[in-house]
This record gives sequence, structure tokens and C-alpha cells, in this order.
Amino acid sequence: MAQRPLEGIRVTDFTWAWAGPYCTLQMAHMGAEVIRIESERRPCVTRLIPPFADNEPGPNRAGYFNQYSQGKKSLQLDLARPEASEIVKKLISKSDIVVQNFSSGAIDRMGFGYETLKQLKPDIIMISICGYGQTGPERKYMGYGPASVPLAGISSLTGYPGVGPAEIGISYGDPNAGIFGSFAAMAALAYRHRTGKGIHVDLALWEALLVLLPEGIMEYVMNQTQPERDGNRDRWVAPHGCFKCKGDAEKWVSIVCGNDAEWQALCQAMGQPELATDKRFTDAAARKANETALEELITAWTSARDRWEITETLQKVGVAAFPSMSNKDLATSPHLEERGFLVQKEHPEFGKRIHAGIPWQMAGSPCEVQAAAPMRGQHTDYVLAEVLGYSAAEIQKFHTDQVLN
Amino acid sequence: MAEQLLSGIKVVECGNMVSAAYAGKLLADFGADVVKVEEPRGDSARQRGPFPGDTPHVEKSGLFLYLNANKQGVTLNLRAAKGQAVLQSLCAQADILLHNYSPRDMAGLGLDYAKLGQINPGLIMTSISYFGQTGPHRNYNAYDLTASNAGGWACISPGASDYPDLPPLKAFGHQTDFQGGVHAGVATLGAYYHKCITGEGQHIDVAIQECIAAILEMNFMHYTYSGLETSRLGRRSIYPWCMLDCKDGKLFVICVEEDQWKRFADLMGNPEWATLEIFEDRVVRGQNYDALLPFLQEFASEWKVADLYKAGQERRICMAPVNTVVDLLASEHLKAREFFTKISHQVAGSLTYPGAPFKVEDVGYAVRRSAPQLGEHNAEVYARIGLAPAEIDDLRKQGIV
Repeated sequence: MAQRPLEGIRVTDFTWAWAGPYCTLQMAHMGAEVIRIESERRPCVTRLIPPFADNEPGPNRAGYFNQYSQGKKSLQLDLARPEASEIVKKLISKSDIVVQNFSSGAIDRMGFGYETLKQLKPDIIMISICGYGQTGPERKYMGYGPASVPLAGISSLTGYPGVGPAEIGISYGDPNAGIFGSFAAMAALAYRHRTGKGIHVDLALWEALLVLLPEGIMEYVMNQTQPERDGNRDRWVAPHGCFKCKGDAEKWVSIVCGNDAEWQALCQAMGQPELATDKRFTDAAARKANETALEELITAWTSARDRWEITETLQKVGVAAFPSMSNKDLATSPHLEERGFLVQKEHPEFGKRIHAGIPWQMAGSPCEVQAAAPMRGQHTDYVLAEVLGYSAAEIQKFHTDQVLN
Repeated sequence: MAEQLLSGIKVVECGNMVSAAYAGKLLADFGADVVKVEEPRGDSARQRGPFPGDTPHVEKSGLFLYLNANKQGVTLNLRAAKGQAVLQSLCAQADILLHNYSPRDMAGLGLDYAKLGQINPGLIMTSISYFGQTGPHRNYNAYDLTASNAGGWACISPGASDYPDLPPLKAFGHQTDFQGGVHAGVATLGAYYHKCITGEGQHIDVAIQECIAAILEMNFMHYTYSGLETSRLGRRSIYPWCMLDCKDGKLFVICVEEDQWKRFADLMGNPEWATLEIFEDRVVRGQNYDALLPFLQEFASEWKVADLYKAGQERRICMAPVNTVVDLLASEHLKAREFFTKISHQVAGSLTYPGAPFKVEDVGYAVRRSAPQLGEHNAEVYARIGLAPAEIDDLRKQGIV
């Protein structure tokens, strides 16, 4: 079998909530051995909140945890115990990457700051993620994912006209910081391969969002104005929106005509060729100027039709149309199923559930979700014996002494 | 030149707009040598603003300038056989080829891994598309708005909306394209590490729809674990989780844990209403948010945003100003971290840009050059792959470069 891209790489994973776990998930996807440090006393918040398998609460049954820890291993120990701290240090000395997303300074207080890590493993790669970063006057501020969206200016730039700044449905700062943390770690692996040196990465949710807003920031830099909140509309092209379809309040289809040819195609597909020559809509500037009338005409057509029927009719002529997918639509999508994106691995406590899988496919070093997310402490004995070389008697003593709680 | 994380890695990037360009930008910002290949008419991002004075100009698009700083730029007509031959020569010397052409256009543009991988077995070719290289929707046309809906994000945005007649809402800008770009960067460098160990290149298929479906928080599992369909409508399960109007702007507040709420109540002077049963825990507060909001609002209306933000955060309450761009540019925190950066461009002049997505001592993000003008590095880059000046001139006359 072909080697996976990160075969042989080991990650000590101190992460909790969403940002850090999404970072190390990518490494697990690529075949790294990701070992989560967990404890009974302070379980990850994502093990505690719904949804639960069969709606039955339990630390191993939470969908949130199980989604973002697929393919990882779990080492349970009580870090308040000095023996546990020694175990983790030994693990770090056998790791390539350490990832943590505690608030700024906390990891140093726990005794696992970068300077300590470097002594344990001189070429260690450490990824530190938090809301505001490790430096700066607000570094100690609390930066939960939902707050990162208004903080970064996304809310002031996003929303329906006349309704005010909007949230965007997800704690976007979290997975975004996670994926940037993965990028940093992969870049660091390349650097270590070339130079033999490790690095420490300081990643702030806030800044990692700001780099995704050039149109908003540079508009102000260039013109001292901020783009108006304009729903789903685009500054330059029309139509560009979500249109109501037949069915309940959740049934919408997005339609974009990025150029005149796509607009012409849309007119034909709607069976209204006269619109193609209508002076109000001849080019993008005209369509922008008459956008409300344009949207009413399209809504009149879409609202009587099924969203999938619309999608197929329009895509057949090259118009970008797609339904607004619900979680159910995604989990039952034949396209995603055919691509192998929907992953079901057997979980020892409740069997199989569908999870979102890996958003890329590699032809030469196939990536695959290795296993369902670990139960808490599932791999404690494995890590102690196989990775760290403790004897059965030593491991038994750790258990007896309640080091592994 | 100073050593950076990705120094010495050679990258060729083709395509239009955001996703491939952002993957290329990340590699370039951390030290890779990226050659951006544009169609002779230029990347379509050059046609999109923001522009100074709202006046379109191919060398002044804020989006293009941002996405393509640190790269060299050449023009090349990939629809012509001779153009494809030049691309092959570029790829023969490269570690990575990034592109975001649709699967339906790839063959016609010479983006064929079977052929390119034969010329350079160590080449990593990363194809970013909206729906991937396989599956019934692979040839579907899409834009950022399409992917925001196809990936299941718009359906749950803005969240807790009171307006069933208003549609699913996309986030500002090109967020799905950016996510495609960063995810592609991760996969590409993972494959690059594999190449460091084994010498082998490969083809990577990145689907933007899936990059979005992978970041829906717990929405996906609400269905697969509990059979619950989530929506942009409804209300927050816990409270406070809202924006409040202060004297001079809006402030966001969220209390996840009970001790945070207790400290918020304390900040408000522990009013009697805060002890009411209808506000006794986060879930109950969520059910009675419409009763709670006016109290919170009345309190916040006496404050300036900056003062309440500071007072709240000093008590470990998660608050954040609803920042506008001008607020961001003035932030003392971002200034202390030297986040924004100035880049000088020959035509567009000196402008402030968003800077590093993360900090690394000494070998991290650096600005080496501004975005290329259209075809700026044709002579230099094509000489590097062995084309004589006369040959380049000949290609120019044929409209290939």
C-alpha cells in the first residue's frame, strides 16, 4: 500500500474546543499519529454538548467531538500529577509537532512552554493558537470563535441591507485558525526537513480572519469607504443571489451570472428569450442598475419550481445554480457519497454515524480517515506501552496511583 | 535573501480569481518562488476591485494586488499547443503546480497530470475546483455564492434570524474560495513532505464544496446523530449571545459558562432581575432571550464600546467590538503586533495590506516584492527555462505570451 503523506509523524495534541482540534484533524487525515492529551477532570467541552448518538449524553457519544477528532488517539491522564507530567514530557520528546489552543500564557504555566519543549526535543514544531495571539496588549482577552467574527470586521461587512451587522452561522474564526495552523505545521515540516530546525507558531484567530478580507480592507485603504452590507449581491455582477423555490422556508437556489453569456443562457433556460434583449439587462452594469426588477423576474420563475429541477436546467446551459444545502442534504448527497466524502467508521459505543470526511483526495499517497474518534482514554495503555516503552508493571502502577484519570 | 520556511520550493500557479491564487500567495508569503501564469488578457481578478476612485485599472485591483504580491508573473496562452509546451517546461523545473481551472477545461489547457507527471515525476499538481474531479456535479459551474450554498454554510447563516422571508446569507467576500485555497495549501505541503521523503509527486483533487461542508461546526452531526435539520432561523440555544447597541457602536457578547454570566451580572451591578428564575441558567436564558435582551440593551446603552469591551474583558467576559475596517486599522493591539503591512507597487503606489496570518520568529511571512504587472517577468522567467530572446519574441507575435 502506498505510504500516507505524514506516515511516521507524531503529534502531541493538547487542543480543545474547535480551532485546535480542526488543526490536528488535518494531520490525522494525512496519516500522522495524533495523540490527544485528555483528562477525566477537565473533559473537552465538545464531549459535553449535543448532539449525542441516540440523544443519549456521554463523553464518547458527542457528535461535535467525534467529527473533529476522527482518526486520533486518546491518552488520558491527570496533569495535576507530576508522574503524568513526566509521561507527557516523554511523549513530546518522541513527537514532531505539538499543538495547543489554550489562552495566551496558559501552556507555560502548565510547564509545556516552547522553551521547555525545545529542551525535550530540539527540533520540535509547536503551534500555539488563541484568539488574540501570544503578544500585544489584548493577548489575555477571551476570544471565543463566535466573537472572532464581529471582532474581525466580518459582521460589519456582512448582512442584509437595512438589518444591521450579521453573524454568519458558524464560529468561523475557529476552523479557519485550525486550517492555518495546519498550514503552518506543514510549512514547518518542510523547513525542518531542509534545515533540521523547529519553530514556534503564534496564531491568532483574529489575524487569520483578517487575511481573508482584502476587498473590505483595501476598499477602505484606497477610498476611505467601507463596502455597504448588501445581502448576497455582488458589487459588479448580477444576478447574484439566493432565490425562493417551491417548498418551505428552507428551499432556496443560488444563481449567479458571472458574465453576459451566462445571462443570455439563463434567459433561454427560463423560457424568456425576450429578456436577453431587454435594455434593462443587456450588460452587467445595466443588470446592476435594475437589480431589484431582475431579482423579481427570476423569483417569479424559481418560486414555482423545485430547487433541484432549477439547478439541473440551469447547469445544463452552464449557469451557476445550486440549492442551498441543509445538513440533511449534505449527508444524503449522491455526489458527496460517490466521492467518498461521507465517512462512517465503526464506533465501539454506538456503531456507525456519517461524518464529514476529507476535503481533498491524493492520488499517490491516499488519505483516509483511519478510525472513528477515540473514546476518552482509549489509547492510554497503547501509548504508554508501545510509544513510550513503559513496562506492564509500571503502567499498572500508574493506574493504581490514579495518574491516568 | 533571508531564509524563510518555504525557501527554495518552486511553484507554478495558473487560473483566475481567488482559490489557486491564495494557495499560491500563502506559499509565496512564506518563501516559495511562485510563478503566476496568466492568460494573455490577465487574471480576471484584475477586473474586480476595489479600485482607487472606483475606476477599473488592470494594475490597480486591490484584490489582485493583495493575492499576488511576492509572485513573479508571466502571460501564456494555454489554449495553444505551443503555450502548453511552455507550461510543460515550467513544470519540468517545478515542485508544485497549482490551478483552479474547472475539470471540464483542464484537458484543453494542457493540465493533464498523466503527461506532466511523466515529464517531472516529482511534480505535485493541485487542482482546486468547486465540486471536485469526480462525481455527478464535477462539471457544474460555480462562484463563491454557489459554493457557500453547496457546502451548507449559507443555509445556516446568519443564524438565529428573525426573517424567514430573507434568504440564506453568504459571508462577505470570497470566503469559500479562500477556504479552498488554504485547505489546498495544507494538502499540497503534506504531499510536499511526502515528496521530501519518497521523491514522488502526485495529483491532488481539492473540492471547495467539501472544504465548506467540513467546517459547519456541529451542524452536520445534528442530522447524522439526532436527525435534526438546522436552519438560519430560530434562536440561540444559550444566552447572552448577541450584539448590543452602545453609545457609539455595537458590542458583541457571549457567555458560554455560568461563571461568565455571573461576572457579567456583577459588572451590571447585580440587578434584581438577574436573579429571576427565567434567567437562571444559560439554556433557560436562551428560551427567554426576548425578556433578557432589553435589560442587557439598557445597560449597554450607557457605555461606549471601547469602555465596555475593556471592562468586560478585564472581568473575563467574552466581548468584542463589532469592528468596522477603520476600527481595525486603528487597533492598538494589531499595531503592537505589526499586523498590517505597507507594499509599494509601481503603478498602484504604496498601500496598506493585511499581513501575516501567523507569526514565526525570523523565518516567517515576509514581503519580497509587489504583485506583478501583466507579463512583467516574461523575459526573466522564460529565459530561465531556456527560451532565447528571439523565441520569446516569436511566441509574443503568435499571441502565446
